[in-house]
Amino acid sequence: MSQELFSVRRNRLAVRLSVLRLTVTVLMVGVALSYWFIQVVQHNKFQQLAENNHRRSVALRAPRGILFDRDGTVLVENRYSFDISIVRELTTDLEYLINKLVAITGVQLRDVQDEIDRHSELPEYQPIVVIRDASLSQVAAVAARRFELTGIAIEQVPTRRYRVGTSAAHLLGYVGEITADQIASLDFAGLTDDAVVGQSGLEFTYNQLLMGTDGRRQVIVNSVGREVETIETNDPINGTRLQLTLDTDLQNAAEEAFAATGFSGAAIVLEPGTGEVLVMTSVPTYDPNAFALGIDMRSWQALNTDDRRPLHNRALQGRYSPGSIFKIVVATAALEEGLVTPDFKVRCPGSGVFHGQRFFCHLRGGHGELDMQGALERSCNVYFYTLGSMLEIDLIEKWAKKFGLNQVTGIDLPYEAAGLVPSRDWKQEVNDEPWYPGETISVAIGQGPVNVTPLSIAVMMATVANGGIRPIPHLLKAVDSGNGWSPVKTSMGGMVELSSETIQTLHEGLWRVVNGQGTGRRARIDGFDVAGKTATSQVISLEGRAKVEESNSEFEWRDHGWFAFFAPRNDAPELAGVVLAEHSDHGYLAAPIARHIMTTYLAKKDGRPLPEFPRPQTPVTTTNLVTEP
Amino acid sequence: MLERRLYSLIDWWLLTAIVAVSAIGMMMIYSTTYDETSQLVSNKLITQGYALVAGLIAFSFFMFLDYRVIANNSWVFYLAVIVALALVLMFGDVVGGSRRWLWFGPVNVQPSEFAKIALTILLAGYFAERSLRGVTFINLAFVGLVTVIPFMLIVREPDLGSAAGLLPVAFAITYIAGLRFRVLALLVMLALLTTPVAWTYALEDYQRSRLLTFLDPAQDAQGAGYQQIQAKITVGSGGLTGKGFLQGTQGQYKFLPVAHNDFIFSILAEEHGFLGVIVVLGLYLFVILRGLEAARSTKDRLGAYLVVGVISSFTFQVVYNITMSAGLLPVKGLTLPLMSYGGSSLVATLAGFGLIANVRMRRFTN
Repeated sequence: MSQELFSVRRNRLAVRLSVLRLTVTVLMVGVALSYWFIQVVQHNKFQQLAENNHRRSVALRAPRGILFDRDGTVLVENRYSFDISIVRELTTDLEYLINKLVAITGVQLRDVQDEIDRHSELPEYQPIVVIRDASLSQVAAVAARRFELTGIAIEQVPTRRYRVGTSAAHLLGYVGEITADQIASLDFAGLTDDAVVGQSGLEFTYNQLLMGTDGRRQVIVNSVGREVETIETNDPINGTRLQLTLDTDLQNAAEEAFAATGFSGAAIVLEPGTGEVLVMTSVPTYDPNAFALGIDMRSWQALNTDDRRPLHNRALQGRYSPGSIFKIVVATAALEEGLVTPDFKVRCPGSGVFHGQRFFCHLRGGHGELDMQGALERSCNVYFYTLGSMLEIDLIEKWAKKFGLNQVTGIDLPYEAAGLVPSRDWKQEVNDEPWYPGETISVAIGQGPVNVTPLSIAVMMATVANGGIRPIPHLLKAVDSGNGWSPVKTSMGGMVELSSETIQTLHEGLWRVVNGQGTGRRARIDGFDVAGKTATSQVISLEGRAKVEESNSEFEWRDHGWFAFFAPRNDAPELAGVVLAEHSDHGYLAAPIARHIMTTYLAKKDGRPLPEFPRPQTPVTTTNLVTEP
Repeated sequence: MLERRLYSLIDWWLLTAIVAVSAIGMMMIYSTTYDETSQLVSNKLITQGYALVAGLIAFSFFMFLDYRVIANNSWVFYLAVIVALALVLMFGDVVGGSRRWLWFGPVNVQPSEFAKIALTILLAGYFAERSLRGVTFINLAFVGLVTVIPFMLIVREPDLGSAAGLLPVAFAITYIAGLRFRVLALLVMLALLTTPVAWTYALEDYQRSRLLTFLDPAQDAQGAGYQQIQAKITVGSGGLTGKGFLQGTQGQYKFLPVAHNDFIFSILAEEHGFLGVIVVLGLYLFVILRGLEAARSTKDRLGAYLVVGVISSFTFQVVYNITMSAGLLPVKGLTLPLMSYGGSSLVATLAGFGLIANVRMRRFTN
């Protein structure tokens, strides 16, 4: 090995070492720059990702507001139920976890799978509730296998409980998971898709008040999702407590009476002076508790396809022909328009010819000569045919509208239907035909194309009782957001200008319906001047009826019976309302139900024991068709 | 054998830097294994402490024993390692799907960590005795053979990361010994041609999946890609100054697995930020350049080869691990020398630096 060669090699060695040194230095600088880029330039992004990793916001459900009746009885409250949910983030084998859960809880695999699929858009860490209101044994089974069931969570949530069950179900309403449309709407801004909101009745109307504000708990979780620490807790704010105008005792009386008679139908009783709703029932009914946890598909379909339509609130969604109750409108119109005076007399021979067509009275033998009070008392059709032909449709329409029969009453409940009062324009628009004068004759006794809701009739009776002041019916009496009860301001709906003569005639005539020789005698109460009007609401036309009668009268073709009333008949009426008994044939069968509500009212007022509903005097054959309320 | 003059030539700067990095490593092991509920110092920290002491003894041994004596016995070291690796495959305990450890009573040893230094000594001794005219194909064949044997044994464990650590040793020493550029080019081409074959036959499924995951971490966010994503989040969330000692969320809440081991640098980056990263990177660079300085200063080829062999595998692991810790390279079971938890690695690394100190100390005598 020559010295020269070695030194050449040494130089080459030095060069190659320099290359290594340079390489290492460049690499390290490159690494440092990479770290600078990730740690300094992109810091915010990764800071956020790290936060998302270990911070979770857990919703604390606010219990919905409690509902009380006017006496302070709890109608709707909350209980705690257990939800079992799946947190997909925490499981590596979702399929296995679902199967395991199904095996130990005995729920349907499909239901669980459906829930997961329905919420597949949610972030992975958000629990998806798969079993609502789990039974204690289900909760115990899951809790015992907590460690092998990583990814399954049990949560306690406040759940609605309707203490009164099916009673007043239609007006209390029910709650349900928020729908996609609702999330998109402004009313429900800020709610997530697992929120439970009012979907019907007062739960819907006052949802905003009742919901309260959900709380949040900020927690730190470790990599397996276990909560390590709570950073911050915002307690939920309970929903506002609502006191209703409803009187549970009267409500029960109404429902009990419907149950005893076996009719379906509706009853509404108001305080005429204020519009406060004391009773509102719709029969048949349903149990809103079934909705509190999200109703299952089968029950929902059963309720919706039921021919008797239990979800339908007949009191304000049902539209019926008003029958003879409409005579109150016709009488008022004739008096107020100055066409007749109260002593205007008509002789009823049992029928009359108007516009070339013969129209019959319900008493084929005729009522003889009657003045207006007598015509109201005896509900003489011929008398009102005569008034109708004098008034013509425009004036009848005018006064029906003054009583509000063509519009919603403005009650604090959703989905209220408006009645239909026919007019020339309406006929032209719908049938493309002019109004025929003969049609006015039918309308004069509340038949033909007149449709009203029971609620609008109750309001009309209150208006008559008040001497023209039309109340707005409402169910909310007072609210308590945590600072004590504050009453809700009420306002009147309007004023129907009536002369004292008109008021006197109506009051006297209607009083005689119940206390004279009229059709409402079954509502008579000693010492309580009940004024009222029965009505028969034709389900089909007279011609149709003839055919049905030939083919053995079907139940569903039977006429509805109405009884509209107010009491006492003086300057300070306390009650006004209506009872509609579907397919009861005659209004006088609805009167005992109204009477029972009123006697209960009086007994309660005087501190006497509440009465039982007397056994119906006429045999009832329809019981099997109606569920008990 | 230890003359007074030699004693004064011990590279205290290098030793200080090495101990400093090890101490920072232990601090991070404390952070990653700290259990808030028991408030106890973890066993891992104590084990690492013992390993540091053992490593310093190994450092002294490989420093004071003249490296020529060591090189003369290179085959002894090499064969001992080969035998140990064979024993691992036969008798090693399976931990986490692979056999890597041999148990000697209470102490377990990972022979693959010592394969690098054994190969370094063997190749340095080999080239130091060969001609200066450059590397011949016979030389290359020898290098290939003695590298492939431990490489395959370690790959079989399987532990691709540790096996890969042998390649820089073989490559760097051959390069320094005078590998020509056209031969280098030929080798690179050969490597490129064999890659598809190796992909199909030499890699295990998990290894292939790791490499694929690296190319697209999001496709397997819960599996192998998870570590890579979490590593990046860990590093990035540290920011400029870090979240503070024991205050990291990614490490403390175990979002980043095996943080005390492969991903210790990520935790350093999280808790001490970019500034901490710069300090430690600086220390590593200092250690590497200071080591290479020993190679430059020696007049003896053997010394230079030894230093380059040790430094090359050290540098490879440091750069790879730190880059991987930021989620920028595929996740491989490759620890960070001096910092990661692991006694064998620490002892072997310190033994290697003992050799470097040895060469430097004797730069005037040999």
